[in-house]
This record gives sequence, C-alpha cells and structure tokens, in this order.
Amino acid sequence: MQKNQLILSVKDLNIKFNLRGKVLHAIRGIDLDVYHGEVLAIVGESGSGKSVFTKSFMGLLDANGSISSGTIDYYGADDGKPIRLSELTKEKDWLKVRGHEIAMIMQDPMTSLNPLKTIGDQIMEAVELHQGLKGKAAKEKTLEYLRDVGITDAEKRFDQYPHEFSGGMRQRVVIAIAVACNPQILICDEPTTALDVTIQAQILELLKEMRVKYNLTIILITHDLGVVANIADRVAVMYAGDIVEIGTSDEIYYDPRHPYTWALLSSMPQMGIKGEDLFNIQGTPPNLFTEIHGDAFAPRNPQALKIDFVKRPPYFNVSLTHKAKTWLLDPRAPKIDPPAAVQMLKEEGM
Amino acid sequence: MAEEQKREVLVEVKNLEVTYGSGRKAYKAVSNANFTIYKGETFGLVGESGSGKTTIGRAIMRILPTSGGEILYKGQKINGKISHALDKQIIKEIQMIFQDPQSSLNERAKVSYIVGEGLMNVRPDLSAAEREAKVRQALLDVGLLPEFASRFPHEFSGGQRQRIGIARALIVEPEFIIADEPISALDMSIRAQVLNLLRHIQKERNITYLFIAHDLSVMRYISDRIAVIHKGDIVELADAEELVTHAIHPYTRSLLSAIPMPSPRRERNKHLLVYDPSMHDYSKEAPQWRELRPNHFVLCSEAEAKQWLSEM
Repeated sequence: MQKNQLILSVKDLNIKFNLRGKVLHAIRGIDLDVYHGEVLAIVGESGSGKSVFTKSFMGLLDANGSISSGTIDYYGADDGKPIRLSELTKEKDWLKVRGHEIAMIMQDPMTSLNPLKTIGDQIMEAVELHQGLKGKAAKEKTLEYLRDVGITDAEKRFDQYPHEFSGGMRQRVVIAIAVACNPQILICDEPTTALDVTIQAQILELLKEMRVKYNLTIILITHDLGVVANIADRVAVMYAGDIVEIGTSDEIYYDPRHPYTWALLSSMPQMGIKGEDLFNIQGTPPNLFTEIHGDAFAPRNPQALKIDFVKRPPYFNVSLTHKAKTWLLDPRAPKIDPPAAVQMLKEEGM
Repeated sequence: MAEEQKREVLVEVKNLEVTYGSGRKAYKAVSNANFTIYKGETFGLVGESGSGKTTIGRAIMRILPTSGGEILYKGQKINGKISHALDKQIIKEIQMIFQDPQSSLNERAKVSYIVGEGLMNVRPDLSAAEREAKVRQALLDVGLLPEFASRFPHEFSGGQRQRIGIARALIVEPEFIIADEPISALDMSIRAQVLNLLRHIQKERNITYLFIAHDLSVMRYISDRIAVIHKGDIVELADAEELVTHAIHPYTRSLLSAIPMPSPRRERNKHLLVYDPSMHDYSKEAPQWRELRPNHFVLCSEAEAKQWLSEM
C-alpha cells in the first residue's frame, strides 16, 4: 500500500450502549479518514469516547454496545478488497482483522502481559500465528523483534517472565507483540500514561522508529495534548463522542479554532505562570444518557454563543487539512479571541 | 540568604534512611536524605517511580518506620518512639492526599463519614451535629455541594473524588499536607481545577505542602523549591525556577529534557538526554552535597562539580 492512501474511512458513525434499560449515546456521528503511514493522535478526556471509538475498529465493543448507524471501511487488506468493518459480525471474520490488519497496544503494560508465560513465548505466539513461522525460525524472528524494540541481551530476556521487567521494558514487549502480528494499523491506547516522563519520551521515540521500519499507520489515543506534539502528524480532538476539531499538529497547536481545544491547551501546567491560576474548564463533560442539543461544549464555555445551545455546529473548513465544529467559524459569528496561552503558542508557530 | 534564615523551619529531614525488609532481604529505599521545609512553602519532591519519593512522604507521615536519621517537626523528633501526646498532635497537624481517588476512598462509607472520620479522633468533643456542620463546610471549601455528604464515592467523577480526598485532609485543620501525586490520575481539564484549588487553600490557610510528583512541568508551576531524588539519593535541590533554568546534575537534566511541550516545532528539535548512573566515578572520591550556585545544592564529587559548572 502506498503512503498517504486512504486506509480507514469512518462515515457518520454512531455507537450506543444499553445500560440497565437506558441508552448511552457514546459516539455521536463521527466522520474520519485515516491515511496510510500517518500518525494520528486522538485526544480527549476520559468518557469522551476515544477508546470506544477505536475499539469499534477491532470489534471489541462490550456486549451491550453496538454500532447503531454509520460505516467503517478498511482498505488495507493484502488482496486490495475493502472490508466493511461495521458489518462484520462473525468472530471468524474478526480474527482475520485483529492482529494482522489492526493491532492494539493497551495502556497498562502491567496487566496486558500474561504473568505465567515467558515474554519470549508471548511474542513467539504472535510470530507463529500471524507469520506462519515455526520452531527455530520463529525464535530467531522473536529475538529480532526484541532487539528492535530496544531490549538488550535478548537471548537472556527471552526466557524471563514479565515480573522481571520494568514498566517501560514491559511496554516495549507489548509493542514487540503488536508489531509481530505484522499489522497495517497500530492503535495505541494511552501507551505512556502509566509510565514515568523519561520512559514516556523513550517509548514515543520507539513508536516513531517502528512506524518507519514496519511501515505502520499509528492511531495514538491520549488525554494529554502535551505528549503527542512530538509524534503526531495529525491531531483529532474528541469531546462528548464527537471529533470537534481535526488538523495537522501545527494547525492544532499553533492555530486552534474550537473553544474546547483552546481550553485543553491553556489548562496544561506547562503553560501556567507561577503564582497565577491555571486556566481551567468549569464543570464536567455532559451526560451522554440524555440527548445533547447544540454544541456539547457550550455549557462549559463561558463565551458560548446563543446558537451553541440550539443548533449543533457542522464542520467549518479552516484549510484543506483543518476543520472544526464550532459556530465561531461561521462568517456571521462575533470575533472571540482565544485565551492568552493559545496566543502565546500561536506566536511561537509564526 | 539573610531572608532565608528568617523563615520558620517546619520540617527538617536529617540523614533519613528507610529500609524495607531485614537481614539479607533488606533493601534500602532511601539513603541519607537531607532537606528542610519552611512554613508556608510548597516543597516539591520529584523523581521516577522507585526513586523513594513516596517512601519519604510516608516516613514523615509515620506510616513507615525509619531505619536511621531524624525527622524533626517544629523542632521535635517525630520518627521512632514518640510520646502519645506528640503522636496526637502530629495526626492532627500532618495530613496526606493520595494519588488515586479511585482507591483511596472507602467504597462502603458515605461521604459524610469519609470526610468526618478524622474529626472523631481529633475532636472527640464535637457533637454529631457539629461534626456534620464541619463536613458540609469542608465540602463547600473544596467546591463541592454540601448535599453530597449523603452520597457514596462511586457516584462521583475522578476530579470530585479527589476533592473529597482533599476535604478529608482539610477538615482537621492541618498545618502540613503531604500530597502524593495528587493529580497524576486525573484528566487534563480536572488537573488544572485541582492544582488551582490546592493553591487557593494554601493561600487562605497558610498550609505547607510537600508535593510529590514525577512530572517536572507540574512541579515548576506549583513548587517554591524542588528536590530531585534518584534511587533513594537526593541529587539536586534549588528554587523551582533556578532548578529548571540552571539544572546541573545530569539526572535533573534528563528529566527536564523529557518534559513534553505542547509545541510541535520545539518537540521536533528536542534532544532527549538519557541519564546513565555509571557515568559517575565515585571510587576515588565519594560524592558530597555541595552548594554550586547560591542556594542550589548538588550531590557530586569535586571533579564533577568543576566539569558540570564549566559545561553550563
């Protein structure tokens, strides 16, 4: 597959969960295109639906959740035929997608490895299953992956158990397992949240290397806008089950347009001035059990317009690659200046 | 320096040593920690997981026994065996805020009990109604509604639960609060709320904080002075701005280089410094605590001090 070709296309996706007779509308009409070879970061708070959204690409929704409308199409298969992921129902069909087409790295390396198996066996399992290698060849390949993810002394480490590894090293093993499946798309769900700052930076570096070496498309989920500036080509900002703004990382950091993106950027402690309050977003995210009218962020936005409470904004294009769902971009809207921290970033980008 | 001496010392940690296990299994988690916390300041303790920062916090709280050295609170020794009266005083005056609001609240107790429990020990003279009134006020102080007192923890979001944890610490009117990674389990937008809250409380009540975290960017914002700890040794200590702008010890510099910045261009040019402890050659000369710049202390040997200063 060529770089920058469309590999995954989501159209008007809606996902609902049934919880004790009540319906939770977790994903509310998302459109998203993912291109081969890019790193796309999906940023949002807990409960914004970012994990649910990406889990639906792999058929991993909990039993009480389902896609109620919309489509997910995958174009990366070896035979070139598109696969409509949103209509796959049989476990057998999903097994062809999981791992081999789309693989996933979970947040916590402490719980995503099997404590009873050596890490060599855990990686080799993926090599045998997805690459058809056996015996000595499989072991050789496994050692190669171990070295690739920066684990020294691979022969010795092969026979060790997860408890003998530090958190950062375990996350490297998890990455090795995912890459050994030979996937096209690698979904990383908060891969560094459980790790120290220095280790976090190293894991992000490793992901960058892996992308080039194995020709991966990476979807990176995080709640921390600070973390992804380094690695993301594009950033999508999620709020209340919708992507409210998407653009290249330069556009999102240096020229954000949605008030929620402004708020996220300005509330980072890195942007704080000592002795002054940090910018903070009042209130909590909306309750997705009740239907949302208008812009979901409006109740927390002190500068919300009247129309924000009435009508849901469509996407307004800022550039070919940058669009946001906010009425502020409508030509009739009053001009509202972003907070000081955002303007500081803007100057930096000039 | 003159101003420095006028400030009232609240906590003094001298040659503190904490050991887990005993005999052959003994593991020294903290060796020879020395620092002073002044009244009213926020003292930051930063380091990676396993560096011993939480251990120090817990040793001051008397949750963990110490194996050497002294912890002085208002000039009195509070580690090891102490009098009953002093123990009571410390329970009232030193409180802790925990990292994970999901696991630090009793799921089976109502908020009124969680927040009010401390009062039963510290203020047995209060009637139930007076206690209830204090709980309601404490909830108001942290930005929660007094009605929440009759609810259970599972009904709250992470940010609200952390506020409950803060209310529980505040209700006994402590003078010194140990905050152990109070925001790392929270979402971005909630972090700012909790940091602001902690700052406001400090201003209103002149509370002293020991703030423990692994993230230097948060530390720089909230702390007055920062101590950097690595594998049980404090390697650098200075005023927050001084430490961030003129870091000397290679470990501090590696921590600084890893701070993620919300700026793609700066991030693209960033050089990650990796700290390798084997770079130190302490075979000839043991490292010492040296003041390399005014009020800026570094653990190093004479040769290292010269070399690092010339590199700056």
